[in-house]
Amino acid sequence: MSEHKCNCENPLVPGIVEVIDIKDETPDVKSFFVRSIGGGLPFDVMPGQLGMVSLLPVGEGMYSVSWQEEQEYLHFAIKRVGLMTNELHRIEVGQQLGVRGPYGNGFPVEECKGKDMLFIAGGIGLAPLRSFIKYCFKHRQDYGNIQIIYGSRSYADLCFKDELFEKWPQEKDTEVYITIDNPEEGWNGHVGFVPAYLEEINPAAEGKIAVVCGPPVMIKFVLQSLEKMGYTDEQVISTLEMRMKCGIGKCGRCNVGSQYICLDGPVFTLAQLKRLPPEW
Amino acid sequence: MQILNKSKIENALNQLSQKSELFVPMARGDESGFYPWNSYQVGSDRLMLDALNVLLPPKSVVFPQTERMYSFTGNGTTVEIKETFESSQPRIIFGLRACDAAAIACFDDVFLTMGFVDSFYQARRDNTTIVAHACYQPGTNCFCEAMGVDPSNPVNADVIIRDAGDAYIWESKTDKGEKLSATLGSLLENKEMAAPQLQPFKQQANYEGVAEKLKDMFEAPIWEELASTCQTCGICTYVCPSCYCFDIQVKSWGDEGYRFRCYDSCMYSEYTQMAGGHNPRSHEQERFRNRFLHKLHFFSERYGKPLCTGCGRCIVACPVGINIVQIINDIKEADTSVRA
Ligand SMILES: Cc1cc2nc3c(=O)[nH]c(=O)nc-3n(C[C@H](O)[C@H](O)[C@H](O)COP(=O)(O)OP(=O)(O)OC[C@H]3O[C@@H](n4cnc5c(N)ncnc54)[C@H](O)[C@@H]3O)c2cc1C
Ligand code: SF4
Ligand code: SF4
Ligand code: FES
Repeated sequence: MSEHKCNCENPLVPGIVEVIDIKDETPDVKSFFVRSIGGGLPFDVMPGQLGMVSLLPVGEGMYSVSWQEEQEYLHFAIKRVGLMTNELHRIEVGQQLGVRGPYGNGFPVEECKGKDMLFIAGGIGLAPLRSFIKYCFKHRQDYGNIQIIYGSRSYADLCFKDELFEKWPQEKDTEVYITIDNPEEGWNGHVGFVPAYLEEINPAAEGKIAVVCGPPVMIKFVLQSLEKMGYTDEQVISTLEMRMKCGIGKCGRCNVGSQYICLDGPVFTLAQLKRLPPEW
Repeated sequence: MQILNKSKIENALNQLSQKSELFVPMARGDESGFYPWNSYQVGSDRLMLDALNVLLPPKSVVFPQTERMYSFTGNGTTVEIKETFESSQPRIIFGLRACDAAAIACFDDVFLTMGFVDSFYQARRDNTTIVAHACYQPGTNCFCEAMGVDPSNPVNADVIIRDAGDAYIWESKTDKGEKLSATLGSLLENKEMAAPQLQPFKQQANYEGVAEKLKDMFEAPIWEELASTCQTCGICTYVCPSCYCFDIQVKSWGDEGYRFRCYDSCMYSEYTQMAGGHNPRSHEQERFRNRFLHKLHFFSERYGKPLCTGCGRCIVACPVGINIVQIINDIKEADTSVRA
């Protein structure tokens, strides 16, 4: 088991951060930029790791850190789906929040060095992948070609539009493929579901690592497509989502088999996933 | 050897409860459990040192049913964590049995190892002294031995007491135990006495090889049958000395409040209910399977021992008569060549 570092002596007690910026990504996703009171990061994260965000007294929820800007802020992209996220979407810049972490294993950024990268995401699933995508850009020489396939219900529901349409396509040896579920006025891009688009693009498996995140149905069909396209189970990485409370492998609820997703996950290779009971 | 004459037991308990909160097995109304000695009511309470297992285990001493974690104030946009409640109150659990002591050893594995240390648990645990009571006459529902627990040599004990008729043989096992024994002064006497012989078990659980076998039984048809009558009421998890799942909740008024944790049960569907409606264990049978796989297989894969110490409480408490000994034996015998 790896060493875990926490921002506080008691891993279940959050540190206080302030929201320094909020940005609407889609009608139901907002980006929150937080930093410690007076500046700096509450803790350091690696791509794919998690933070437990707390809006007192309403609730706590687990979110992927979508990006860490060194010395400046942690970025969470949060979808409005329930009680706490509803309230979170109402807060304004300057609001103080609790945050504890970092949790989870994160993406295997080291093991992927020297590989071509294929990122496949649906909806809010781009939030965790984005930390890895931006990490690759930051360490561009360490990774080969980068392909990003991303889809959502509609144009409005695409997260991080400025990066998708402006910044990322400008990066060296990078291709960004975007699709929406149904045709709509003004959209000239691809229409259809992510798994079908993936098969259309048909990126060769050789030398590549595929990283997949999205709603469970999307993940299921994308994994099938990748298998058809010749990707081995070691070449495919995905993240799991289970309900969480403690984030530190104690409270019991996020288990799949003997693994705790908050601690041993959320990132697994398909080979690892196949060794788990089929409860994900 | 040191002994404590049974005629001096109340004296000893009075002495021990001077500086520590002392929990002893008692019957209280329709319930029985480990209650503070200084809440003992002559007449309505009954000391149960002879009983093998009182209804409720002593787990709440180290892991309370509800435990305040920290308080905060939130005034519009600013929030502040006021106080973190790590309890350093000295406590003694007196007279718990080997199964319950072994269950606390399981808690130690969960809360103190594997990456993170749970500070709330650690504070309580460090300040708890365990006086375990060796068993020689297994009860009707006891099967601890089958689960790797030695009833007459409890693990995790700071002191072991052994019933030798008119007196308890008193054996300090750790520094904590020595310290505690010292506070009893002349109440402890020096005398040679013989401990009784361990009598045979009445329940035979054949757990050998079951953890391994379960590896390939996630989708075995047997679960449907085993789970068919379970009401997912969760009583089995509540009375179990080794069940530790918890929820984190908040209580607030005005602009203050506190977060607390409280027992939860994997038998409830809300336990894994996610926003948007997805629930990986929405069916009773899936929750039942997870509970028994956790106890008999997942836990041993992670921590090297089962999460059942054979106390038999769930057998007594279950309203529909689900019996973990029977389940272990059914799994042991199941023909796994047939697939669901
Ligand atoms: C590893 C991981 C990473 C995640 N990353 C993101 C992300 O980057 N962006 C994002 O928008 N969402 C993410 N989620 C989902 C997010 O945690 C939940 O959707 C959200 O907390 C539920 O919000 P709520 O409290 O408003 O919902 P409610 O329905 O009010 O939730 C009630 C309780 O259930 C818990 N809960 C409900 N759904 C989930 C869920 N899917 N996972 C865990 N706990 C849940 C809540 O935390 C809360 O305690 C992630 C979940 C996990 C497990
Ligand atoms: S006590 Fe019995 S009925 Fe209730 S959840 Fe446990 S096994 Fe099922
Ligand atoms: S599962 Fe039942 S027999 Fe085993 S420790 Fe828990 S209550 Fe006791
Ligand atoms: S969230 Fe508590 S064990 Fe994973």
